[in-house]
Amino acid sequence: MTPAISAAGLTRRYRGQLALDHVSLDIEPGSITGLLGRNGAGKTTFMRIVAGHEFASAGRVTVLGASPVENETVLRQMVFVREDQSYPDLRVRQVVQAASWFYPNWSHDLADALLGEFNLPLNRKVKKLSRGMRSAVGNVIGLAARAEVTLFDEPYAGLDPVSRQLFYDRLLAEYAEHPRTVLLSTHLIDEAAGLFERVVVIDRGRIVLNTAADDLRGAATSVSGPAIAVAEFTAGRPVWDRRRIATQESAVVAGTLDETDRARAAALHLHLEPLTLQQVVVQVAGAPAASPQERTSA
Amino acid sequence: MKTWLSVARYQLTDRNVFVIQPWVVLALDFLIILVIVAQYPGRHGQAVYVGALAGIYVVLIVTGALSIARQLPFALALGVSRRSFYAGTALLALALAVAAVYGLGLTVLQLIERGTGGWGLNLHFFRVPYLLAGPWYLSWLTSFVGLALMLAWGMWFGIVYRRWNLAGLLSFIAVQVLAVVAVLLIIGGAHAWHGVSRFFTTLTIGGLTGLLALLTVALLAGGYATVRRLTV
Repeated sequence: MTPAISAAGLTRRYRGQLALDHVSLDIEPGSITGLLGRNGAGKTTFMRIVAGHEFASAGRVTVLGASPVENETVLRQMVFVREDQSYPDLRVRQVVQAASWFYPNWSHDLADALLGEFNLPLNRKVKKLSRGMRSAVGNVIGLAARAEVTLFDEPYAGLDPVSRQLFYDRLLAEYAEHPRTVLLSTHLIDEAAGLFERVVVIDRGRIVLNTAADDLRGAATSVSGPAIAVAEFTAGRPVWDRRRIATQESAVVAGTLDETDRARAAALHLHLEPLTLQQVVVQVAGAPAASPQERTSA
Repeated sequence: MKTWLSVARYQLTDRNVFVIQPWVVLALDFLIILVIVAQYPGRHGQAVYVGALAGIYVVLIVTGALSIARQLPFALALGVSRRSFYAGTALLALALAVAAVYGLGLTVLQLIERGTGGWGLNLHFFRVPYLLAGPWYLSWLTSFVGLALMLAWGMWFGIVYRRWNLAGLLSFIAVQVLAVVAVLLIIGGAHAWHGVSRFFTTLTIGGLTGLLALLTVALLAGGYATVRRLTV
């Protein structure tokens, strides 16, 4: 099957800075992928190149099997909702209406419903909206476009919890009814974790993790208790992180634990807790530059 | 083609930039001149010539620049290609529709001015000697081409600003000034001033309109080539 989005050796250099460093990535059609990473890691640059807004310095990107650059056939099937989107001097109603002209599968019903649910003031200028409301406008467009490839860059920025929940629910419902390829970047990882089928973590312009979301659950475990017991338990295991306070220690152990391991931990009076997706990402993306490679195996 | 029409429609959604601003500026411009000329009419009812019609042309440079700088990023987010955005903006929304309709507006106003004896003051606001002085269809053609030229020029400024910011815009203006200076120097160096002045004194308004049309096409081509390098 042709990947919905495919990057090979994708590199983007800015004056003295490598924003993307040989990124190779295939995203299958009909999937929701989380694109995670720290600020400045290269998430937005990657999405901008996929959307044809920015050009690659080297390497290649295809969307639905063809280059997206100035390719009307591909672009017509793609929507890009950006956190830093600059809007023309128009009212909410006009902006949403204008968006509807460009998408063959646009759903007016969905757009109207979402505008109501997000409590958006239809006659207010988009420039006058708060940050959260501006994000909501983008989300309405991104969902109602029903575009084959849907890119969300930080769709939650400034959104209140009720609206965020609404967005998750609507996204999942829409996705079930009208499957499409969704690539979504966010910093609210645990909150969005339930959405992702795949997780890609990007750090300093490189992909440091690219795996099925299910494989990540329980991929690492935090082990805490008396330092001696922790040392005994972790001996010979890959350890991502160690923290020690007096005689108590807490270590993050990579790899899944089986029943024997758990029994042993219980005997040693150790407390086990699986890492959440967010904690895994912090471990992977927060690591010093030296050793991210060994972590990709997780 | 359908995308072009959608782009044109999208551009015209912001009525302020494309519809209201130019005419409000022209109306104010005209009213100020009318008040001044009513206070200080021409001696013995002589014709009063003012160059204030240039106002709407200047405004259209700004309109052209805004049509890119303000409108383009969101259009790109909606999956419009740079080429379609430029073509839709240039050919439909601006060059054809706006310039043609506005040119017609100016022509009608010129006819009214003629019919009312220069608004009762023998004022030549919409009748510009040589440029807009011929039959109505020629006036319309010349205004149309002139307005389209300003829009195309403004659009190119907008693209350069969007792509290379203020520094780029200033360099772009500097290059244009240098190009004009270079042409003047070349004419001087070749002792061709005599020929050039004869060319312009014998040039009919139809011929001049043709030259302006060529320049407009060149500006559009330049903008088209530049917009393809634009990033947002």
